[in-house]
Amino acid sequence: MANVSVNLAERTHEPPPRGSREVVFDVDELGVSYGESKALEGVSLEIYRNYVTAFIGPSGCGKSTFIRCFNRMNDLIPTASVEGKILYQGEDLYGSHVDPVEVRKLIGMVFQKPNPFPKSIYDNVAFGPRVLGMDGSLDDRVEKALQQAALWDEVKDRLKAGALSLSGGQQQRLCIARCLAVEPEVLLMDEPASALDPIATTRIEDLMHELKREYTIIVVTHNMQQAARVADMTAFFTVTRGDEGQRTGTLVEYDATSKIFTQPSDKRTEDYVTGRFG
Amino acid sequence: MRLSFQQELDRLQANLHEEADLVLRSLRGALNALQQRDIELADEVIAFDDEVDARYLAIGQGIEQMLARQTPVAVDLRLVLAVLHINLGLERMADLCVTISKLTKLTVELEHDTTLVEAFEEMGSRAEEMIRVAMTSFADRDLAGAESLVDLDELIDRANRRVVSHVLELGNDPELREWGLRMIIVSRCLERVGDHAVDIGEQTAYLVTGEFREFTDASHPEDSDR
Repeated sequence: MANVSVNLAERTHEPPPRGSREVVFDVDELGVSYGESKALEGVSLEIYRNYVTAFIGPSGCGKSTFIRCFNRMNDLIPTASVEGKILYQGEDLYGSHVDPVEVRKLIGMVFQKPNPFPKSIYDNVAFGPRVLGMDGSLDDRVEKALQQAALWDEVKDRLKAGALSLSGGQQQRLCIARCLAVEPEVLLMDEPASALDPIATTRIEDLMHELKREYTIIVVTHNMQQAARVADMTAFFTVTRGDEGQRTGTLVEYDATSKIFTQPSDKRTEDYVTGRFG
Repeated sequence: MRLSFQQELDRLQANLHEEADLVLRSLRGALNALQQRDIELADEVIAFDDEVDARYLAIGQGIEQMLARQTPVAVDLRLVLAVLHINLGLERMADLCVTISKLTKLTVELEHDTTLVEAFEEMGSRAEEMIRVAMTSFADRDLAGAESLVDLDELIDRANRRVVSHVLELGNDPELREWGLRMIIVSRCLERVGDHAVDIGEQTAYLVTGEFREFTDASHPEDSDR
């Protein structure tokens, strides 16, 4: 089969070819500073619809800073400033006419530590739709969101129970349900399973596989095997040190996950994924 | 830096090279037994296969443990997969040496042809050289060295075809014909050792480039890269 050269990336679950990908976010030369300190610079990449995209890299590489740019969470930090562009479906996410609250409705976020409100399970999920005055039956909306988050069967008989009575893994799925209840288009997940045990982690990962049918998912993870398991595309970030020792995050490599974990193009990526970094 | 993992990878490769050394000893023994019609030596080669098998199993178990516990990726994953394949190739080479030795025992009392026996020494030497080139290329991650195995293999293939032609010309003596028929299998075994060495070269190429690729295509030789 000399004429049939098979590349690993082509052989495995390679995402569809470039032409058939639909770009949701187009990031161009993005940089983020906190005061004088540059946390991230020169990041350009595209995020594709119905893909799970993972950001990996060592501590301080700016991956959490980066994911927070996608729903303007950095706006909440007074010293933060953003340069460059993020186009969301062709629209400048940081345009002067754009309402950050509307952005956060369309682009939901789940954090490292489950953070349910100290309210009932039902009220947690119903909170967003109520605040936004969304149409239709609230009960139906809550049930649908809990089903999508694979939590319905476990809580359907105790919707009025306190959310804090749930296990850590259940609380995280509740937070996912809370995001889904307002019908976002994109889910951002910042280390969504790092506080969970392996069984709960598996459930979150299974859920990501399910949810990507309807949503575009971006996940930051410290766990490289998790990125390898769940992501279609993976971006590797690293920290570069300036002349005066200042640390800035940069994007090193962005490619299909199967490529990143079998045949990365950049030595720095290879050193990181094989554990030879640092 | 995952020091213990790196040590495990180093150990795995060292074991593989030791296995290759055992195979070379086995092949030399099989060739000497054939030439010298030495039944005792042939028996030793047959018994010696247990040592190769033990090494083969140990390497296989080491890989199983490594995959389960270290989940290698990128170049480490390619290395472990290459070792897995090379390990199998080496074990099969040793099995071919056993087959040659069994045929030596079967034919020791038969009339034989000196020219052909000498041809086997040349074929065997080429097979030994191919194993060395294959393992050195693997150790040095030497793509050009790995690809040079194709040319070396062609020489063994030609020698194999000459053996067949020679056997057909051995005449009508039943003993000599039986001997010749069995020697065609010996020749085929040596030719297969060469093929396995090429397979090792292909694993080296995979390790270096990340691409699965056969150097030559027996079913579509006209489409081959070379």
